[in-house]
Amino acid sequence: MAKRSILSEDEPTEIDLAPMIDCVFILLIFFIVATVFVEEQGLQVSKPDAAATVSPEENENVVVQIAADNKIYFEDKEISLADVVNRVRANVAEGETPVVVRAHEKSSHGAFIAVWDAARRGGAETLSFTTTH
Amino acid sequence: MQRRSILSEPEAPTRIDLAPMIDCVFILLIFFIVTTVFVEPPGVEIVKPDATLDADLEKNSILVGITADNKVVYGGKVLAIAGVGARVKQLLNREELPVIIQADAQADHGVFSDVWSEVKNAGARKISVSTRKD
Repeated sequence: MAKRSILSEDEPTEIDLAPMIDCVFILLIFFIVATVFVEEQGLQVSKPDAAATVSPEENENVVVQIAADNKIYFEDKEISLADVVNRVRANVAEGETPVVVRAHEKSSHGAFIAVWDAARRGGAETLSFTTTH
Repeated sequence: MQRRSILSEPEAPTRIDLAPMIDCVFILLIFFIVTTVFVEPPGVEIVKPDATLDADLEKNSILVGITADNKVVYGGKVLAIAGVGARVKQLLNREELPVIIQADAQADHGVFSDVWSEVKNAGARKISVSTRKD
């Protein structure tokens, strides 16, 4: 045991690291187990503000309706999902016209998200949704 | 050095140098401490709808689930729609967090709309809908 320097006496003072390693391992295992890697993708949706609903809807807004059977209507005509993109693009020329998705409460959430996404692709910037009964 | 047994030679105590291992373990530990966010996933199976214009959402958020049979779930427990607002408000009092609604594609839009309103009334600033990863 000649490793130690001038200060050390015969007994080499060594710190027993084993208990510390035990602690660190327990911490490590706790954090490994507690870690959940949440990676969510999604989009933000909004309802019209209370102030904005004062204006009458039909005249200024582009309204896309979803019926209870998930069919999409635009100006009382049934259209396909691909058509939503075109119709919104045609009617939202300046990008400022509000687009409202009016979904029936019994329509599926998937249909609603599909229409919402299509309207966004059509260039709608102020989008909101309302629910009909 | 009389600790060793019969087999060992008297002079050389074989000792493993633990320092590099401790270094590694510490680095792992710090990595996991830093990356851990305590998010409670809904804990139910949800088939999310598909969208093309979706973005990555915050990792640390409140997750509210809606299953295909229109049950509202938070942290593995089924809540009444009216209870969602209170629960979210309680969580937001502790920390300002964004809320993500994970709704099943087959869930009713009405339930989603009610949950959205509840969360909004609870004071959430940012409410997002979760979509499928592409």
